Amino acid sequence: MKMAQGAGRKAMGEKHPVPWALGLAPERVFMKHPMLEYLKETGAYGDRFPTIFCPGCGIGQALNYTLNAVDRIIKKDKIPRDHFCFIAGIGCSARVTSHYLGFDAIWSLHGRAPAVATGALLARPELRAIVVTGDGDAAAIGGNHFIQVCRRNLDMTVLCLNNNLYGMTGGQSSPTTSRGVPSTTAPYGNVENTFDLCEMAITAGANYVARWTTAHPQQCIQALEKGIRKKGLSFIEIMVQCPTHWKQEPAKMMKKFKSQGVRFSPEKRAEGLKKDQFWVGEFMDRERPEWLETYQKIMDRFQRP
Amino acid sequence: MSEVDETAFEPLLSEEAQKALRGPLPPGDYYLFGSDACLEGAVFAGCRYYAGYPITPASEIMERAAQRMPQVGGRFIQMEDEISSACSLIGASWAGVKAMTATSGPGFSLMMEAVSFAVMSETPFLIVNVQRPGPGQGYITSSQEDVMQARWGHHGGGPIIALAPSSVQEMFDFTIQAFNYAEEWRVPVILLADETLAHMREKLTVPPWEKIKVLNRIKPQALGIPPEKFLPYEPYEGKVPPMPAWGDGYRVNVVGLVRHPDGNVTKYSPEMHMACVSRLVQKIEDHADEIAQVEGYHLEGCKNLVVAYGTVTRSAFEAVQELRGKGRTDIGFLRLKILWPFPDGKIRSLIKQVENVFFPEMNMGYLVHPLRESLRDRAKQFISIPFLGALHSPDLIIGEIIKVIAR
Repeated sequence: MKMAQGAGRKAMGEKHPVPWALGLAPERVFMKHPMLEYLKETGAYGDRFPTIFCPGCGIGQALNYTLNAVDRIIKKDKIPRDHFCFIAGIGCSARVTSHYLGFDAIWSLHGRAPAVATGALLARPELRAIVVTGDGDAAAIGGNHFIQVCRRNLDMTVLCLNNNLYGMTGGQSSPTTSRGVPSTTAPYGNVENTFDLCEMAITAGANYVARWTTAHPQQCIQALEKGIRKKGLSFIEIMVQCPTHWKQEPAKMMKKFKSQGVRFSPEKRAEGLKKDQFWVGEFMDRERPEWLETYQKIMDRFQRP
Repeated sequence: MSEVDETAFEPLLSEEAQKALRGPLPPGDYYLFGSDACLEGAVFAGCRYYAGYPITPASEIMERAAQRMPQVGGRFIQMEDEISSACSLIGASWAGVKAMTATSGPGFSLMMEAVSFAVMSETPFLIVNVQRPGPGQGYITSSQEDVMQARWGHHGGGPIIALAPSSVQEMFDFTIQAFNYAEEWRVPVILLADETLAHMREKLTVPPWEKIKVLNRIKPQALGIPPEKFLPYEPYEGKVPPMPAWGDGYRVNVVGLVRHPDGNVTKYSPEMHMACVSRLVQKIEDHADEIAQVEGYHLEGCKNLVVAYGTVTRSAFEAVQELRGKGRTDIGFLRLKILWPFPDGKIRSLIKQVENVFFPEMNMGYLVHPLRESLRDRAKQFISIPFLGALHSPDLIIGEIIKVIAR
């Protein structure tokens, strides 16, 4: 939906008292975002901000939640900031690692981020790998890589920013696009069934699996915090809105996330879901053996006294 | 499926066999398998990460790695395919560890994506391609059919370095050299072995450890560059940028997109694009003479030149010696140890004027093209001697030479 210039600001002013109407000085109103500490706004060859994300995109929110979780872990667990390492594939989700992060990061190949993270962790196990993928990355081109890291239960956190389509390339259908929904590559409606990445992660062997949406900030932060601390593979899917390609207002999409996301519990599972609904919540939290720990036992046999 | 780890790990090798080989091979003479020599060379070079996927005829290197990596403090992983094997090398290399994989034809094709990314992101690692014939599944015997793919197979075609060993000793030596090239020039390096070599037993001499030259990448901390002043894509002394490891505090954003020297991927312009890519090409092409390794034999008064590389060197040199023994003292021999960057300058400095150039290759005549370009004004004709599926016999090469020179 197209909005007239300034319509949003006016609408907001009517409902809520805006700071400029209260006569507050800008420095009192515009505080620095606490997560900016973890981002690179500028560099030797010019500014990196504003980001390339469209207005209203959910990826900024998801990044904010991730950085909040990382911030809590750095402060509470005393894990050095430089042990965190962000590894992404290709697509809108991956652009967070392109050059905005004040961490070691790689913007690698489409779908291959779990493989790149595998190499990094085996080379330097003290790293805390956070793999940022999208639905195209994890469910399509990198499907097998995703399944195999879950099976190995490597100690990393895989985050999937699921917008149900390919955003970067212009709104084509993805494996998570709903049946019947049209897209640029399904002009008569999507004929395929959808992929549930959380169920896949559970079946493949991940230790921790959760799904939330951009409309669940605290839940997202808590799930990420838990996931990063968790030994073994943690998979956290965050549903993000793509206002550009779904051609909807971001706020409306987030409201839909709230109303359509049904809090999961084993008892509720039997009731099933109605049309357009999806489960949110924690689906799995278990302690299966982790790859690096198991391999360390083999390496220890050869340690010289 | 059990939720609890109750697995008892049963080693394939006996306790004694495990204890026998803990560090790198002690100096001395060995009678070793080509694949094993390659992996032992990697251990010497400091490789402590191996990721692979089984494929004939390269699986033996992987099996040796599975056994040896934990013994020397490294890690081995069997990945789900060649794509992820090669991609995981990128992660391992940026985490500060020398990394390698080994594969063959079809697997090598799958690795091309990672090679292209590694060229752009200047990630050093080693891919051993134990070549088998193609196209398609081809067969599982010996071949030199991937010599062009090694250089031009990945999209964008940025330069790599490729070596061609011809003996078990060279499987060991060249693997060490390959890692040195990778670390020095920050490129993926490809060792173009073949099935014959990988499955051959021969004498290997391990020199005293201190005589083995091992190079390591230059880190910014070693140069006293602090993280806030570090530009990850700014070359140091006209060669390559220093390379920090993840976790060192340099907060590098590794990208495969064209970028400014600080890693900024916006502010695009064709000038910035040209500066970024031309540096990657020139760092190798401008130093081709420095990298090149070409050996010439009997080049004095040489009218008929035989050129070979890899395992074919053995048959070709045998053919040259035999013909010279029969009085054909106008036959010389040139051996290419480094195939890419193509040693143009070195070849031209060795060969001034010849009549015929014979080039036996275990393919339909691929590397004869860059050779023809090198010696465009210095030879009358170029005769490719192709042979598929097995090593040329010296007699075959002699026959082809006689056909031309007896005219």
